[in-house]
Formats: sequence, C-alpha cells, structure tokens
Amino acid sequence: MSETRLAGVIPWRRFLWPPLLIATVLLVVPHASFLWMSLHRNLGMGLVSATLTLDNYRRVLTDSFYLGSLWLTFRLSLIATAIALAAAFPTAYVLARTRSRWVSLLIALLLVASFMTVVIKALGLSLVLGQEGILNHLLQAIGIIAQPLLLLNNDTGVVIGLVQYTLPLLVMLLFSVMQTIPRSLEEAAELLGATRLATLRRVVLPLAMPSLIAGGLISFNLDMGAFTSAVLLGGGKVLTLPVLIQRKIFLDVDYPIAACLATVLVAIVFAFNLLSVLLLRQRRKTAAEGVPK
Amino acid sequence: MRQLRRQWLFWGVTGAVYLFLLGPILAVALASLEGQQSYAFHFPPEHPSLVWYSHIPQKYWDALGVSLTAAMIAAVISTVIGAAAAMGLVRGNWRGRTALQAFFNLPLQVPLVVTGVVFLQFYNQLAFASGVDPVGSLAGLVIAYVFVTIPYSVGTVGAVVSRVDPRLEEAARTLGASEWSVFRRVLLPLIKPGLFAGFFYGFIVAFGDVPVAVFLAAGGFVTLPVEIFQTLQFDFDPAVLALSTLVVIFSALLIVAVQRLVGFDLVLPSTTR
Repeated sequence: MSETRLAGVIPWRRFLWPPLLIATVLLVVPHASFLWMSLHRNLGMGLVSATLTLDNYRRVLTDSFYLGSLWLTFRLSLIATAIALAAAFPTAYVLARTRSRWVSLLIALLLVASFMTVVIKALGLSLVLGQEGILNHLLQAIGIIAQPLLLLNNDTGVVIGLVQYTLPLLVMLLFSVMQTIPRSLEEAAELLGATRLATLRRVVLPLAMPSLIAGGLISFNLDMGAFTSAVLLGGGKVLTLPVLIQRKIFLDVDYPIAACLATVLVAIVFAFNLLSVLLLRQRRKTAAEGVPK
Repeated sequence: MRQLRRQWLFWGVTGAVYLFLLGPILAVALASLEGQQSYAFHFPPEHPSLVWYSHIPQKYWDALGVSLTAAMIAAVISTVIGAAAAMGLVRGNWRGRTALQAFFNLPLQVPLVVTGVVFLQFYNQLAFASGVDPVGSLAGLVIAYVFVTIPYSVGTVGAVVSRVDPRLEEAARTLGASEWSVFRRVLLPLIKPGLFAGFFYGFIVAFGDVPVAVFLAAGGFVTLPVEIFQTLQFDFDPAVLALSTLVVIFSALLIVAVQRLVGFDLVLPSTTR
C-alpha cells in the first residue's frame, strides 16, 4: 500500500533515465570508437588505414616483446598483491581488535595515505629508496649492507610502489569486515583450548576469507592498471602494459597498437575477475554441500 | 607469554605498515625544508629554510588552479548524476537492480590509463569530424572525470538512500507538506552525508589523477599532478618538494574535514558497494 502510494506521488523510476543515458553515452561512444581504432593498421603520422584488420591483435598476442610485457605486468601485480594482503591482514586485525583511543586517528591517517595523490607518494618513495636515500644511508650506517641496495628504476621499485598504492585501501577494506566478526567467537575458541594461532587460522581467517579474496582482486586490478608509480619508480625501464600504452601514444604515435594493448589489458582484467567470481561461487557451493547435517 | 609475543608481532607489522605508508610523505615534507639545492637527500635538513616555498614557479600555481577547477566541476556534476541515479535505483523498485548497479560500476573495471587513451582518441576523432578539439580544454577533462567518478557517487548516495525510511516523507506529506518542502526539509537533510561523501570521492579522485590527464593535457592546460609527474620524470626542481608538502597539508585537512562531516562508515570502502 505505502509502496504504491509512494510510487504514485513521485515518479522515482524516471530519475534513473538521465543518469543511465549519460553513463551509457560516456561508456559506449568513446569505447566503441576506440575498439574501432584497434582494428586498423597504423600508417604513421597518426594516420590509420581504411580497411579493418585483426593484425594488431595478432601482433600483440604473438610478438614476444608484447607477451613479455603482459607477463611482467601480471607477475608484478601478483607479487605486489600478495605482499599487500600479507601486510594488510595483521594490520586490519590489530585495528579492529584494539581498544586504544588512537584508533580513529590511525584510521584518519590511513585515509590520508590512501587519498594522497600517487605522484607525491612516488616522490616520497624515491627519496627514501634511492641509492643516496634514507633507507640505504640507514642500512649502511648500521652496517647491514656494504653497497647501497638498488631499489629504484627496476622491478623491485615498481613492486614497492604498487604495494604502497593498494595497501591502505586493503587495510580499510579488511578493517571494516573484521569489525563485524564478533570478538566472542575468538573468546569461545580460546576457552575451548585453541591457541591464538589456531583461533586466527580456523576462526578469523575463514570468516575474513571472502573479503581477502575480494580485496585481493581489487588490489590486483589496480596494480594491473597502475601507471604513475610504474613510470616513476620503474624509471621508464620497467615496461608494464600501462607504461607501454603511453609510450606507443607519445613516442611512436601508434594509436592502433595502443588501442589494441589497452583492449587486451581490459580484457585480461575482466576475464580474471570473472574467473575468480566463478571460482568463489564454486567454493561456496562445495563448502555448503560439505557442511555435515 | 606466547600470546604476548603474537600481539607484538602483529603490532610490529602494523607499525611497519604505517611507517611504510606515511614515512615517504613525511620525507617529502622534511626534504622541502633543506635550503641548499642538491639531488641527494639530507636527513635531518642541513640548512633548514623555507626558501623553496617562495620559489615555486608560476606554472605550478596555474596547474593547481586547473586541477581545482576541473576536479570541483567534475565532482559536482557526477554527484548530481549519481544522486539522481541512486534515487531512481533504490526507490524505483527495479527488478534488475543489481545489474543496473553493476552497469554504473563498469568504469571501475577500466584502468585509468585506458580511460585516458580512450578519451584522447575519441576527442581526436571528434576534432577531425567537427573541428572542435576537447583535448587540452576544461570540458574535455571534466567529461572524462565525470565518467571516472560516477561509480563513487552512485555508490555513496545509494548507500545512504537505502537507509532512509520512506515513511518519514509520507508523514511529512500527510501533515500537509508540499512535494518541494518534503524534498528540501526531509529528504535532502537525510541524504546530505551521501552527497558530501560522493562529492569528496569525486573531487579527490579527479584532483590526484595522473593517468587520465597526462593524455588530455595539452599546451598551457596542465593539471598539478601531471606537472609534478613531468618534473619528476625530466628535470627535478626542489620547489616541487615544497609544493607537494602544501598539497599534502591541503589533502590531509580536506580528509579530516570530510571525516568529521560524514563520519567513517561512508568513506571506508566496503565489499558490498
């Protein structure tokens, strides 16, 4: 009754049409013209051939240079995601379980770290990680290392940058989930004689697992597309797909190949997401069937 | 005893995470205080001075103006679009609501660098066909940012709207309020936190962006992060440290203000959104 009356007073459904139209136009028109571009041959000077061809895709998917870049992007993203998850889990757990007054300050600091523009974070990292940087000075002063570590302008630098990029987001995400896990469950497990480690492994971890997987996916997606930190901390030497796309535009003025690389990147990210959603559903199904009656 | 050790381990990781996240930002601020120009970083600053703060070249201030304007306009537009979409989605009783919501979230699936290239190419074709070139213009940048930020505003406003009880509006109506005053005095105050959070997300995403603007900036029309990005890549200028410190302070104040204004729960990401 109240629903029909409400619907009768204000035509809420109509509110959706303008945003839907705008979102559709912004999505479809530029991306369609983009896909179209990826199907043309580059003639140099920003010109493209008139005929349609799949040559660009054939080149990207067979050339070892492009495949190498793809594999590099995938590998670095995977490593960075694993490190970020491993660091975010204990941090989120501590933040969710502590009764300290400082929690709200710590969360605010996370927000600052997460919303700060990537260029400034990358600038800071290069000050810390450089051969003359704070970290190398410190480690040499203590005597742990004799030669400065090479932490910039290589794969290591990019991975460090990627971890810093997604870590605050992951901590916030896991924190908001762990807050909803009742403390009493852990207390019950400990009363029943479980060690802290066993409680973490068999109570907290399974409950946090869906958000760990979701967070890992978000982090992986962001890493695959990460541009700014890959350029600045890789020093232009680490050619991940996003870096390569920009080079194809600015250095080679090869729009079709750039469009093709970008399409491949989006397709991979999308396929990866789809696959993990399916896996997750499968897991949940088998888990549900495995529950003893 | 063992319990204590595990807690120390977890606190240790937490401390390391915070050091890793905030240390570099602090390093920027400290380095900006070193008065002597050098490429090496000195800690603590050997010649403490604020000299670089008065030597920030004009181009950075211009870029800051471009960034603020573009981010502000894009955030306002996307908040309005997002609010309308969220109201229509939540109140419209759609059968395929999750699918519609997923559609609005699609831009999040596209890496920003791809969005940049996509809009650059689209604008080029537009310029070729019509003679109007949006590359290097405010409109061109704002349109791309609206595309990027719509998911955030739909998400935040949607989260708030679904918590609003429609019976409150009905009560106001029964008591004789006009549709306009129901909107202005009942609904609007209730969804205000969502609007603020949506605006904030849009602003901060657009303001800090490099990968979109790096393609759409041209001529004298460059955003601040892109200007800093180019400086770091090609010719380092210590004034960038001073400028970055100012941006850090501005962003931190903005974030704290928003947190005070709308609280934690809307700014924290959640898996359901």
